[in-house]
Amino acid sequence: MRIIVCLKQVIDPLTPASALALDQAEKKIRVNLSAPPVINGFDEQGLEAALRLREANKDIEIVCLAAGGHFNTDVMKRSLAVGADQLILVQDPSLDTWDPYPIASALAAAIRQIGGADLVICGRQGSDWDNALTPFILADLLALPLLTLAKRVGISDGKRVEIERVLADGTMVMKADMPALVTVTSELGALRMPNVAARLAAARKRPRQIALTELTDFATAAHAPEVVDLAIPVNGRSCTFIEAADGPSLGSCLAETLLQAGVIRLGGERQP
Amino acid sequence: MTGILIVAEVDAGELRPEFWELATVAKALSAAGSGGISIAVIGANVAEPARQAAAIGVEALHMMEDDRLTDPWPEAYAAALIQLCSELAPRMVIVPCTILGTEMAARLAVHCRWQLVQDVTQIEATADGGLKGLRPVSGGAVVATVRAGAGPWVVVPRPRAFASAEAATTPQIVEPVRHAFEPPPLATACEAPKRVAIEGISVDRAKTVIAGGGGLGGPEPFALLREIADLVGGAVGASRVAVDSGWVQQALQVGLTGKTIAPDLYIAVGISGAIQHLVGCSSSQVIVAVNSDASAPIFGIANYGVVGDWKEVMPAFRDKLAERVV
Repeated sequence: MRIIVCLKQVIDPLTPASALALDQAEKKIRVNLSAPPVINGFDEQGLEAALRLREANKDIEIVCLAAGGHFNTDVMKRSLAVGADQLILVQDPSLDTWDPYPIASALAAAIRQIGGADLVICGRQGSDWDNALTPFILADLLALPLLTLAKRVGISDGKRVEIERVLADGTMVMKADMPALVTVTSELGALRMPNVAARLAAARKRPRQIALTELTDFATAAHAPEVVDLAIPVNGRSCTFIEAADGPSLGSCLAETLLQAGVIRLGGERQP
Repeated sequence: MTGILIVAEVDAGELRPEFWELATVAKALSAAGSGGISIAVIGANVAEPARQAAAIGVEALHMMEDDRLTDPWPEAYAAALIQLCSELAPRMVIVPCTILGTEMAARLAVHCRWQLVQDVTQIEATADGGLKGLRPVSGGAVVATVRAGAGPWVVVPRPRAFASAEAATTPQIVEPVRHAFEPPPLATACEAPKRVAIEGISVDRAKTVIAGGGGLGGPEPFALLREIADLVGGAVGASRVAVDSGWVQQALQVGLTGKTIAPDLYIAVGISGAIQHLVGCSSSQVIVAVNSDASAPIFGIANYGVVGDWKEVMPAFRDKLAERVV
């Protein structure tokens, strides 16, 4: 059984706003320093879901697939270090874009070209553009049933996938016949750490590179709304730090400050 | 031909409060020439919430009721919306930014290859017949201006970015138009959700929210937060770490998966401020952060900060408030 996990390389979401540089000509968000990119955190959780499935079924092959403008191979190879069997990178400058349609089209064409999958797993969204649209387009292009926001993924009888879907106030079990596409959410849990031996073994492996032009099936027509401008928001807040001799004084000082500023109104209006 | 179709989401028998914000967006765009406003209500037993929603004053109220729509089954709900759109041919569909709503919006937009204008904090019709909006991206670190060409469009307003519309004082009674649910074969199946009842005031409706995170180290300190919340008539919230650790129920979660809130006052205790959390609380009027780590990102969006151990700070904070209440 083959599981394909879609990965996206993104700028580190922990990059401070002061280190972000906006490329208005290309409409791209870049990092102003030499901080390495990361694998999109939600996609890492997708890989963790695949690794857990393989713990229950050793016959599972895990293929990681990424489509993007350029790759930091060392960063992407972290997927091999934690146990993925193969890493495939589809690289083309046109795939460095805010638009999920060409990216999903490239992923779909690559998945078809390598012979498909029993299960495709994606993170719920990319932390760069927050569109959360690539899995929907991919499921549409591959005509796969789509189950989203899984905090748990299971396979029964080798042919049916079952997830526990996260809701705002609980969870819900959902099922579909495979092949299917599942998106995972952060509640699933973080990707495991690689051990040293696996890290060394991964260092010797090479990702398979596929050029977009090699994908016979690649076509993209639709587009998401165009990004025409980017700005760093001014939050207008500057933090006033409360100063006091010790913890308890800080606490009462904070209460005084908020009461005096009218931020806390005691004995006032209560919500229903 | 329908102009603007608002999806009024009904959750556990109740009209979702986001509806009133969608109505504000619809009225502004309708006034700008996007056509009249209709409402779509999908579910099982939704007549009463549909009547409430129609009180904003609408051209038509479309209802699709079916037992298969009892649970929030995304594929079925999306199929229902796609069917309604093929029957009504709207120029614009406005969908709430809820877990079910965003999925219906994405499925509709992808299925029809319509432009999805999502998570917008501002939206306007442009002179050339398109739409222009502002939306946060990269977890709110950047604001993008997006432009969508010719419609139809699927618009998902960001929660709490628009004021709530009022119901008309003397609403015209609109008879609902009933549509039979005739979906194509559905490829997924769902079981009834397991919901967790909310204790106290709901975190997304309170004017004051005091939330705890991983820094609290366990469930017990939430009792202290609850005492403070009770003193100020507020609600207790939590970060994902606290929910995932099983310290508090999931309904308290603020952030990307949880609730997007905009209270008058948000007090974050032991919450470092992962971007997924900040997305959920950054629209609060005043933000207060208490954290032992002076470099925690939460201070970057806070108005007031206390660098200290919550174990020492918060009991004194509670006591000072309690003194003043008497």
